[in-house]
Amino acid sequence: MRVTSVDDTCGIAVCVGERGSAIEVMIALVSAVRIGDVLLVHAGTALTRLAPA
Amino acid sequence: MKFVDEFRDAALGEKLSAEIASIVEPGRHYKIMEVCGGHTHTIYRYGIDDLLPANVELVHGPGCPVCVIPMGRVDDGVAIARHADVILTCFGDMMRVPGGNGSFLDAKAAGADIRMVYSPLDALRIAREHPDRQVVFFAIGFETTAPSTALTVLRARAEGIRNFTVMCNHVTILPPLRALLESPDLRLDGFIGPGHVCTVVGARPFEFIATQYHKPVAVSGFEPLDFLQSVYMVLKQLADGRCEVENQYTRVVPYDGNLQALKLLSQVFELRPHFEWRGLGFISQSALQLAPEFREYDAEIRFAVPGIRVADPKACQCGEVLKGVIKPWECKVFGTACTPEHPIGTCMVSSEGACAAYYNFGRVARERVVV
Repeated sequence: MRVTSVDDTCGIAVCVGERGSAIEVMIALVSAVRIGDVLLVHAGTALTRLAPA
Repeated sequence: MKFVDEFRDAALGEKLSAEIASIVEPGRHYKIMEVCGGHTHTIYRYGIDDLLPANVELVHGPGCPVCVIPMGRVDDGVAIARHADVILTCFGDMMRVPGGNGSFLDAKAAGADIRMVYSPLDALRIAREHPDRQVVFFAIGFETTAPSTALTVLRARAEGIRNFTVMCNHVTILPPLRALLESPDLRLDGFIGPGHVCTVVGARPFEFIATQYHKPVAVSGFEPLDFLQSVYMVLKQLADGRCEVENQYTRVVPYDGNLQALKLLSQVFELRPHFEWRGLGFISQSALQLAPEFREYDAEIRFAVPGIRVADPKACQCGEVLKGVIKPWECKVFGTACTPEHPIGTCMVSSEGACAAYYNFGRVARERVVV
């Protein structure tokens, strides 16, 4: 999923998936998430970064 | 789309298929087990088995988290949901899993407040919005999903949300694999390692399969070329007389896993002494419960849970399917009494279940002819 906004204070990013739907994702397990990053998300948590912005 | 299109190239698939055919020994039957529902889905969605030689058999292990939940746990969840002030939340796949007295969907129809959520974070939001209600998250999944539950529990504690608890059914993949390897019923030649679980735990924990049981392992991604390449890697190891853990899914899986996630899991959870797996029975230290520090978020402590044990219906052979002893179509009720619309067993419920994967991708007629 691609990151469209990041709230570092809350540890939450908004990500958009293949079908265009946006969800909130917990990003505590991936360091320094930035807008445009592509993340592997499972059950609302980012597990790894597939590609940097 | 990047990370997708390049792993679905049909010409490359045909080339890999030919390479696989060139390294298998004629007259030898190969059995390779995958232990991830996502892989089962990939195999039948993309017709991977059609691209393999007839003597290479793919066997599905206990890798679908919905499928391994025993009926008694569903009944325990229903018992909690029947409390007047409770909102029970769960992933969509869990809604139709049959318990001894019906599914969550049946309980919802009978008046219980049971809601589907995408993530435990959604359950926490519901708790925030309904401070007068008790919100319980029915947590399922392997090590891939457990970090999400753990982060949510930490978030609940940080925000001081007291009306949120977790009924924890998280399981771990290695103990059932060891149980299968010790089983005299099953002769396996190699394993396809679960890519997403390995994103968290890494590939290293699977080394015992190679060193103690002398079976090759290839940790695999989920696109068709990922899976074909992983089958090739296992067969190549067999051809070379090697037994190692190889990582095909290097774009996602670090060999040592996600260290932050592992630290989180050890902080929030501890191993249960034992846990019942559907079809596999009780397996020691194969599931997680909240660590003592987080017991106030444990639904099984906050609510009286009956601890129901229910035998699977006699006609249902999910247990044998989950152990790879039979194929879905060999079950007595597959495609007749048991369908995705009216499932008897868990393997027919989730799209990642072996029976549902066979059924949904048109394997009913063809496989029955084979039998």
